[in-house]
Amino acid sequence: MADNKPRKIIDWTEVNRRMETARAATEKGWTPAPEEKKKIFKMRAKALSQETRDKETAEEYIEIVEFMLAYEKYGIETSYVREVYPLKELTPLPGTPPFILGIINVRGEILSLIDIKKFFDLPEKGLGDLNKIIILHNEKMEFGILSDVILGVRNILLSELQQSIPTLTGIREEYLKGVTKERVVILDAEKLLSDKAIIVHEEVTM
Amino acid sequence: MKWFLNLTTKSKLFIGFGLMIMLMGVMIAMAYVGITSIHSSQEHLYKEDFANATDLLLLRGYENGIRAAQLDMLLVAKRSDQEFWHQDIKERSREIDDVIQKLKDRNKKDTAFLKKVDEMSSVRNLFRQTRDNQVIPLIYAGKNEEAKQLMLRVQLERYHKIRDAAKELGDEALARAQNNVVMASEMESRMIRIFFTIGSVAMLFGIFMVFFLNRIISVPLKEISGLAEKVAAGDLTVKVSSENRMDEVGTLSKTFTKLVENLREINREIKEGASALASSASEILATTTQVASGATETATAVSETTTTVEEVKQTAQVSSQKAKYVSETAQKTAQVSQTGKKSVDDSIEGMNRIREQMESIAESIVKLSEQSQAIGEIIATVNDLAEQSNLLSVNASIEAAKAGEQGKGFAVVAQEVKSLAEQSKQATAQVRNILGDIQKATSAAVLATEQGSKAVEAGVKQSGQAGESIRILADSITEASQAATQISASSQQLLVGMEQITAAMENIKLATEQNVSGTKQTETSAQSLHELGQKLKQLVEQYKV
Repeated sequence: MADNKPRKIIDWTEVNRRMETARAATEKGWTPAPEEKKKIFKMRAKALSQETRDKETAEEYIEIVEFMLAYEKYGIETSYVREVYPLKELTPLPGTPPFILGIINVRGEILSLIDIKKFFDLPEKGLGDLNKIIILHNEKMEFGILSDVILGVRNILLSELQQSIPTLTGIREEYLKGVTKERVVILDAEKLLSDKAIIVHEEVTM
Repeated sequence: MKWFLNLTTKSKLFIGFGLMIMLMGVMIAMAYVGITSIHSSQEHLYKEDFANATDLLLLRGYENGIRAAQLDMLLVAKRSDQEFWHQDIKERSREIDDVIQKLKDRNKKDTAFLKKVDEMSSVRNLFRQTRDNQVIPLIYAGKNEEAKQLMLRVQLERYHKIRDAAKELGDEALARAQNNVVMASEMESRMIRIFFTIGSVAMLFGIFMVFFLNRIISVPLKEISGLAEKVAAGDLTVKVSSENRMDEVGTLSKTFTKLVENLREINREIKEGASALASSASEILATTTQVASGATETATAVSETTTTVEEVKQTAQVSSQKAKYVSETAQKTAQVSQTGKKSVDDSIEGMNRIREQMESIAESIVKLSEQSQAIGEIIATVNDLAEQSNLLSVNASIEAAKAGEQGKGFAVVAQEVKSLAEQSKQATAQVRNILGDIQKATSAAVLATEQGSKAVEAGVKQSGQAGESIRILADSITEASQAATQISASSQQLLVGMEQITAAMENIKLATEQNVSGTKQTETSAQSLHELGQKLKQLVEQYKV
């Protein structure tokens, strides 16, 4: 124990008082104080006003779902996203390429799950409950891609988008739509969905 | 001659004087014998021869008287006168009887003489009978004629006979006396001759002895005395002419020689001794001076020691008081330690209570920790819900986007839901943090309680040890108390001892002072001794060796 420290004299009445207040507070349930409330309201108001301002300036924009892949931010246009879903009940499939993690059951619908980190040679992070699935779809194709964290939905001005980056080559360049100022890599969902490499033919199996 | 020299002086004197004395004894004996014989002859002469002559003369005288008285009786007529003369006759007759008796007694041995006396006595008896029986009664009767007849005839005849006999006897006695006298004178002259001879011999012998003894005793003594005078004068080189004699003189001369030798030796030794004495005296003088200074130093030291002893005494007094104080304190401390032991027992009990409470605290904290865990689970659930809400909000946004312009409001709602989910997440994160803190705190509290419990355990143990220590301490203190009491007593004794030492030191001081003065005297004495040694040396050097 901290014998060398100067021993504090415990004021038991103070302790009792503090305990009492804590207990009272717990029993009362968490309701913010009027000042707190006001503060929250203010913040909310501010946020709303900012959004309206954004709206006013926005002319040509795309809406993306922002997510994290191995510490990098990526985005996919919402028009190609059916929904996001937590990673549950993954069934690995034998005899498939490494980028296919397995199959999942989303409300009775069987979908294949692709790990695009394999395409981009990103470091593996391991799977967990926090991993989410972004289900992509178009008229022909529907599959899920694995993401580490879903950050949310946001609008991106097309003018701000940089079309090409010299450092990105190969497959990355192929699936890349552009990079935002905030270094969010926007993937080309159309290309992903229509890529033949993703399609696993029956002949290939066995 | 040699044997005589070897005799002791006593024997010599005995011999010399013995001979003289013997000679004198002989002379005395002879003188005694001669004188005795002369005396006896004279006595004989006087007592017998002359006595006989006188007695016979007396007898004749008395007879004459008696005759005359008878004649007187005849002549007187008166009876009374007659009686008077008769009385006279009687008396004279008695006298004659006496004289005859005496003569008889004296000359018992001389039978011839005695015979003649008896003859005369018988004649006289006849004469007396006739006188008494015839003549006197006739006279009384007045018959004077008859009486005259008787008297002139018978009686006269008888009377003449008596007178002749007496005369004869008297002459004989005289003749014998004269003879004796002559013999005595002869003897005398013989005696004188003998005396003279012996006396001359004795005298000559005496003179010889004087000279002889002088030669054999006095001369050597004189020689020795002369040598002794020389020795007295300091000449020790003398030599005694040694004569091998065994008597006192010889012994004396030998002894004297030895004495002189001894004196020489002694003188030499004294000389050496005097030298040694002189040097020793010098050394003693030096030493004494040193001793004197030493004694002075000792006196100083003793003075200092006395002071120190005084100080020590005071210290001892103080220590005695202290020891007493310590003893009292130790007793008090023993009581205190008893109290302390009780306190330790109490504290052990208290510690045990504390331990129980600590245990209950630990239990409570563990419960709290478990409840925190439950809360954590709840939070996980809430976090999960928030996650799902977030996903829902994203899906809602996507749906809204699909809806196009109509979905714009919905997109806002979805954004709001997302924000709420975000906030929920943040809140849960905060709660998780707090919970983490709480859990850390509870862990710390559990740990602290555990440590506290252990500390209490240790405290109990230590209290026990402390109790034991206090008990030992109490014992020790009791012992210390006893020791202090003993120390106190010892200090008291020490004090007494110190007082004695003080007294002793005082005595020593006195003695030292006396020593100092004594040493000074010794110094003076050593000086005197030194001088004496010098003097002695000079004295000894006067002797010629």
